[in-house]
Amino acid sequence: MPATVGVIANPASGRDIRRLVSGASVFDNAEKGRMIYRLLVGLGAVGVEQVLLMPAGAGLGESLERNLRAHHTDPHPPRLPALTTLDMPLHDGPEDSALATRLLVEAGVAAIVVLGGDGTHRVVATHCGDTPLCTLSTGTNNAFPQLREATIAGLATGFLATGQVAPERALRQEARLTVQVEGATPREELALVDVALSTDPWIGSRALWRAEAITEVIVAFAQPGAVGLSGTAALVDPLPRGAGEALYLRLADPATAPLVVHAPLAPGLILPVGVAEWRRIAPGQAVPLTPALGCLALDGEREIELTPADRATVWLRSDGPRTIDVDAVMAHAAAHGLLRAGRLPQAAQGVE
Amino acid sequence: MTTSAAPPTVLGDLSREDLLDAYRVMRTIREFEERLHVEFATGDIPGFVHLYAGEEAIAAGICANLRPDDWVGSTHRGHGHAIAKGCDVKAMMKEIYGKRGGLCKGKGGSMHIADFDLGMLGANGIVGGAPPLICGVGLSAKMRGTDQVGVAFVGDGGSNQGTFLESLNLAAVWNLPVLFVVENNGYAESTSSRYHQKGIDVAKRADGFGLPGVIVDGHDFFAVYEAAREAVRRARAGGGPTLLECKVSRYYGHFEGDQQTYRAPNEVEHIRQTRDCLTRFAERVTTTGVITRDELDAIDRDVRALIDDAVREAKAAPDPDLADLVTDVYVTY
Repeated sequence: MPATVGVIANPASGRDIRRLVSGASVFDNAEKGRMIYRLLVGLGAVGVEQVLLMPAGAGLGESLERNLRAHHTDPHPPRLPALTTLDMPLHDGPEDSALATRLLVEAGVAAIVVLGGDGTHRVVATHCGDTPLCTLSTGTNNAFPQLREATIAGLATGFLATGQVAPERALRQEARLTVQVEGATPREELALVDVALSTDPWIGSRALWRAEAITEVIVAFAQPGAVGLSGTAALVDPLPRGAGEALYLRLADPATAPLVVHAPLAPGLILPVGVAEWRRIAPGQAVPLTPALGCLALDGEREIELTPADRATVWLRSDGPRTIDVDAVMAHAAAHGLLRAGRLPQAAQGVE
Repeated sequence: MTTSAAPPTVLGDLSREDLLDAYRVMRTIREFEERLHVEFATGDIPGFVHLYAGEEAIAAGICANLRPDDWVGSTHRGHGHAIAKGCDVKAMMKEIYGKRGGLCKGKGGSMHIADFDLGMLGANGIVGGAPPLICGVGLSAKMRGTDQVGVAFVGDGGSNQGTFLESLNLAAVWNLPVLFVVENNGYAESTSSRYHQKGIDVAKRADGFGLPGVIVDGHDFFAVYEAAREAVRRARAGGGPTLLECKVSRYYGHFEGDQQTYRAPNEVEHIRQTRDCLTRFAERVTTTGVITRDELDAIDRDVRALIDDAVREAKAAPDPDLADLVTDVYVTY
């Protein structure tokens, strides 16, 4: 099979109520289309031969198409991989990303590049198995994917897909949080960054933005540079990604809490958050949440409505998705001269 | 909180009374529309009717945040907006039957139901008709220094009209206290939004005019309510307009009599079974223990009786006579 990479770009990410309450960023679909083009340039430059793309609707595909047409008029165009769109129906919901992930895994792609927010990555991670992910954030409100230039992400993904950089060097094993709810409607879900218990009595407009509504939090990592619950938890006890532990926090009214942090809860929103207690959580250790009327939020979005009769438990597991460490791959590529003249596959240099 | 605690008396910022009101509004709209679906087939109703069934959570969720002195501009699918804004259901039914005693004296019909005293500017036969009207309302409120807000409802088809885009611009330029609520039910008459609309999200059009554009699930009362609460609060405080897109489905055709050959088999049945706004609302308020099933059943019975009476009285009401023909048509300034 030729070196093949899958691409999933969510055309619908980033429209929740945070645009209204905290001035959160908007991300244009035309830019997502341009990102895919730049990604193709990076992938093609290091010898990826084929890209399988989830059908790109909503102006995203048209933007990509315009860039590809311009590409064909270039007298010395960069080499691009052959682009094939997956044959699948679209429902304009998360089920599209889920189905595309399953199709890409079946097709045996070397990696999947995901353009979206924490929510899109959560859906892809649920279905991707061992297939590595290159995670690209399309907005500022994310902790799991990174805001990064797609050209470089394409190069790094291409180095892995073509075998020029070994998986042991290129990939990072991510953790995940498993949430199990027992009650009238039992279910099990995955979160990549955080699980929060909110007193908001309904899923409603999904986003978490009122600090006083959040009572308990578990984060898979606590990054001081992140926005949201991961960044908030980091102000209490920083926990690097891949540390092998999670962090549990019980929040309280800032007026009486023993510790108060001024937390960047969402873009444009820094609020006092009271912390009553916190502790590290080992993999496999069950964390039962206090039964309550409220909601469980996964990766910053309210997803599951709870009644006091429901029992929710969270575990940290070390078998999350494998992701491409773009910085590590590019450092390796630079140190070993992978982008020096004469080192790339001939086809990738345009010398057919 | 433990399982032995007393049932809560509120859900978020909604009291039991608020929740019962919201359910009554949604149930009244549903019953009104389901009944019209049956009655229209008898041929007794003049003109066209466009039914709002399936979209009730939007009208109820938006209008739960409005005061009687706030304004609503509606669409051709306007019965739900009128009921949620408090219009008299019996007078609405008479209006639809074209009878004297109708809300517009039986001379407007389904597509012109209005009650200015309640801030209902009217259903509107012009696709994309409400947004320019609501800009006028917003400018009026701003110039008079009140904190009233205006809400323009529009469909996904209407969102392609120049009136809609011009109004987004005008509202942004004047920083008006208004909401543009797009009820995106996926079809402009019989044309799927995949064919008539660039991009699946109308909310993104707000970006071009520098106002917030937010998407919520239009089948979920609480999602609509919560987003509208923030948008109305922002508008009253001088924060300007918001575009709120509600993704939703209609249970019937574009108009009564529409064969709907453009829809997938079982499309509507699937939505009714999995996403019905009344079912979802009832499940949440009863499983949390705030409201009992008996209380909801009592509302169902009340509403059914109300709609029965409304239809009976409308059928029995006299037609407007010849002398009514030119009343309220000409105005002397």
